[in-house]
Amino acid sequence: MQPITLKKKKEYIESLETSSRRHSQWRDILGRLWRNKLGMVGFFIVAVILLLIILADLVAPIPYDKQNFAERFLYPNSVHLLGTDNFGRDMWSRLLFGGRISLFVAIISVCISLFVGAILGSTAGYFGGKLDTIITRILDIVMAIPGLLLAIAISAMLGSGPVNTALAISISGMPGAARLIRSTVMAIKGNEFVEAARATGSRHGRVIFKHVLPNAIAPLIVYSTMSIGGSILAISGLSFIGLGVQPPIPEWGSILMAGRPFVRDFWPMIVFPGIFIGLTLLGFNLFGDALRDALDPKLKN
Amino acid sequence: MSELLRVEHLKKYFKTPMGMLHAVDDVNFSINQGDTLGVVGESGCGKSTLGRTVLKLIEPTDGRIIFDGRDITFIKEKENLELRKQMQIIFQDPFSSLNPRLSVADLIADPLKTFHLYRNPEERKKKVHELMDMVGLAKRFEYSYPHELDGGRRQRIGVARALSLSPKFIVCDEPVSALDVSIQAQILNLLQDLQEQHGLTYIFVTHDLSVVKHISNDILVMYIGAMVEKSPAKELFKLPLHPYTKGLLSAIPVPNIDIPKKKVQLQGELTSPIEPKQQCRFVARCQYATEACHSKVPEYEEVLPGHFVSCHNVRSINGL
Amino acid sequence: MSLLEIKDLTIHYVTKDSIVKAVNGINISLEKGETIGLVGETGAGKTTTALGILGLIQSPPGQVVGGEILFSGTDLLKASDHEMRKIRGDEISMIFQDPMTALNPIMRVGDQIAEVVYLHGNCSRAEAVKRSIQMLEMVGIRAERSREYPHQFSGGMKQRVVIAMALACDPKLLIADEPTTALDVTIQAQVLDMMNKLKKKLGTSMILITHDLGIVAESCDKVAIMYAGRIVEYGSLEDIFHNVSHPYTIGLFGSMPSLDKDVDRLSPIPGLMPDPSALPSGCKFHPRCTSAWEECSKVEPELYEISPGHCARCLLFRKEGAVNE
Repeated sequence: MQPITLKKKKEYIESLETSSRRHSQWRDILGRLWRNKLGMVGFFIVAVILLLIILADLVAPIPYDKQNFAERFLYPNSVHLLGTDNFGRDMWSRLLFGGRISLFVAIISVCISLFVGAILGSTAGYFGGKLDTIITRILDIVMAIPGLLLAIAISAMLGSGPVNTALAISISGMPGAARLIRSTVMAIKGNEFVEAARATGSRHGRVIFKHVLPNAIAPLIVYSTMSIGGSILAISGLSFIGLGVQPPIPEWGSILMAGRPFVRDFWPMIVFPGIFIGLTLLGFNLFGDALRDALDPKLKN
Repeated sequence: MSELLRVEHLKKYFKTPMGMLHAVDDVNFSINQGDTLGVVGESGCGKSTLGRTVLKLIEPTDGRIIFDGRDITFIKEKENLELRKQMQIIFQDPFSSLNPRLSVADLIADPLKTFHLYRNPEERKKKVHELMDMVGLAKRFEYSYPHELDGGRRQRIGVARALSLSPKFIVCDEPVSALDVSIQAQILNLLQDLQEQHGLTYIFVTHDLSVVKHISNDILVMYIGAMVEKSPAKELFKLPLHPYTKGLLSAIPVPNIDIPKKKVQLQGELTSPIEPKQQCRFVARCQYATEACHSKVPEYEEVLPGHFVSCHNVRSINGL
Repeated sequence: MSLLEIKDLTIHYVTKDSIVKAVNGINISLEKGETIGLVGETGAGKTTTALGILGLIQSPPGQVVGGEILFSGTDLLKASDHEMRKIRGDEISMIFQDPMTALNPIMRVGDQIAEVVYLHGNCSRAEAVKRSIQMLEMVGIRAERSREYPHQFSGGMKQRVVIAMALACDPKLLIADEPTTALDVTIQAQVLDMMNKLKKKLGTSMILITHDLGIVAESCDKVAIMYAGRIVEYGSLEDIFHNVSHPYTIGLFGSMPSLDKDVDRLSPIPGLMPDPSALPSGCKFHPRCTSAWEECSKVEPELYEISPGHCARCLLFRKEGAVNE
């Protein structure tokens, strides 16, 4: 009946506990992403669409603006993979090249919204007080104007074209992003580790960039993936009324809008752009959700 | 033993829609180097605010804070940040006080990076290991994340972080309240050992009187922002003079079935620290209240050597 | 027949990655009017046991793997959902730890109590309201306050409302899960005092879950100490406080700072509570035990009797052949 000595006891205790191996946070995140099947499906969808769009020159040899009145309203066949539109133009090419514009504008506008929104939102949320009040009021004023109307007004001022459209949409979407970031930052600020950062000598800037914002990413990701969808729809709305992106530059929304008069007799002109828009939104959303879950260090039990 | 910290007439008020909240009202004490002042009280007594105000994490409304001979009450932001190297804090909640995105090593090294100490990553790593050793954290946890560890280990990370800048003075804000009983004892022993090894000075804030009994030199009891009683630790337990302290002591459940229940039960609820009237703040719950208690704020006086009390009737209640 | 007899209760949480053995074969018996303290630290399995009695274990991932819970003779584990709903609130009530979130913030306090009475009793709404006011006064809250909302009450008062709600239907058994942990010390004393008086007056049996041996000393008749989902010591108040036997219980007493002892340093129990999905072999406490020897890592001890009604799960008390529940 020899009692185990205290020193051996300590080693024994430690040997029973699970040891930690060196792991980088990124590997963990990628691991969790990989295991999320729906997320991988989303990633796959987005990746395929992006690939097709980037390699449009190779996979869509028929010029997107080549009209051919003899070949109008063709259903999908071996030459025209997705048929032709009311001017005999190849739908496959139009959709792939159009995707470049749609996604470019959508992604740029979301990025600008997030960037400006992050600056305004985190300043308002972190510092509070008068600064918060001023920024929030400005955001409220911008938000009081219906989004599409605002985008129209700004587009009208700036003119049509992809870059101007991106700017217009980003301005109307920015208050939403800013408010989301503001409330997220306010919630994070309530945690003691923010106070701890100040207590260990960090200036406000360092606290915001190193401690607050990295913890604020998760809701932003879901927000941005959802916004990309909204942006694509906004672009098409703008293009429809003559702003946004004008023909002959193809763009998913305007292609879809152009097919409206023919919906009863010739569905491909609406359905195919619709499928592209829908699949892209689905892909971004699924992947965005998976990314948010993967970035959350508190694994769900 | 030289005096490290002296606090004179310290006040911290917050503006609320319902009026001025007197979180800390006219607090005075001093602590010598290497000693511990236990600050005890229930919710709303202002002890946490006091701790943070003394550290200058919150700007005081009035009064003086003299640290290491220097008046630090109203210094500039830049000097304030420099002070962090000498005054630190250990937080109560072992989860929310650690950035969930940083590994243990990053969390402990963060203050070093902030002040650009140990620029060489190898040296910094060595320092982190040294700190982990000091607080009893096995090195193999250096790349773990807070959520992977239990409360006791997380709290050790907090202690290591507080020690990283080699401060002289640490405010321990309820450092063991969120921990299991057996872990509490481990952390309390750790804090005591560190104090002895490094000559640290502590303010130990807690609501649990039994926890501070053996770790404090002096204990300050607070009630709704005001000082109520202050005395050397052991004396407070043997000879509590203020009715609130008596009530507090008798309310603590003792794990002993042989001691008869000494019931000095405090009735009523804690009153609000907003716009307190010019009277003793304890009057609503005090069984000894007299007329003077309703009309005048009691004086904080030295009733016995080293034993201060704020009570109009302290002598008559205790037969002094 | 005892009011409550738990036999060999085992509850596991089964997930894809692991099985968390939260409760492993515990046995408790409780008579009418008795209070048993269920003592242990985080992860010991106390709350899971309480939820198990009430049939509130979340069914995936939790599973009651075995055992019986005999309440007045009926096995609760075999009862239907309908039967359990009738029992909850009426014959067995529970008070949870956090009074701040236990009350519905948008419902008046009196209405919340009346709701419980109305659901279980065969009475009119008016009678339910009368009963709710009666309960409030029993816990020391003025009748006028029944029309107020929870946010208008302080923490201690909220907990009194919760207690009023729990006792409104005069249950035979009250399960209180750390009812005063979130309260200030002086308020805790008031609430505990009130609970003790009430349960004596109404003859309610109670399972008091706590980590505080001081509260146990004031409120309980029997004590069960839990560790890693098992009961490691069980006995009357006298047994536990005057004849403490299991090394874990001894360690608990030693690691608590207390008012009446004058110590220079505390003696904490080294190490940590084991991960319930990866329990050590043999005695679950042996890695932290200062009296452990080699056999302890191989053999899991049974509950051995120390004196009538007092037993401990430790090889130190094993007698040849004598194995007791």
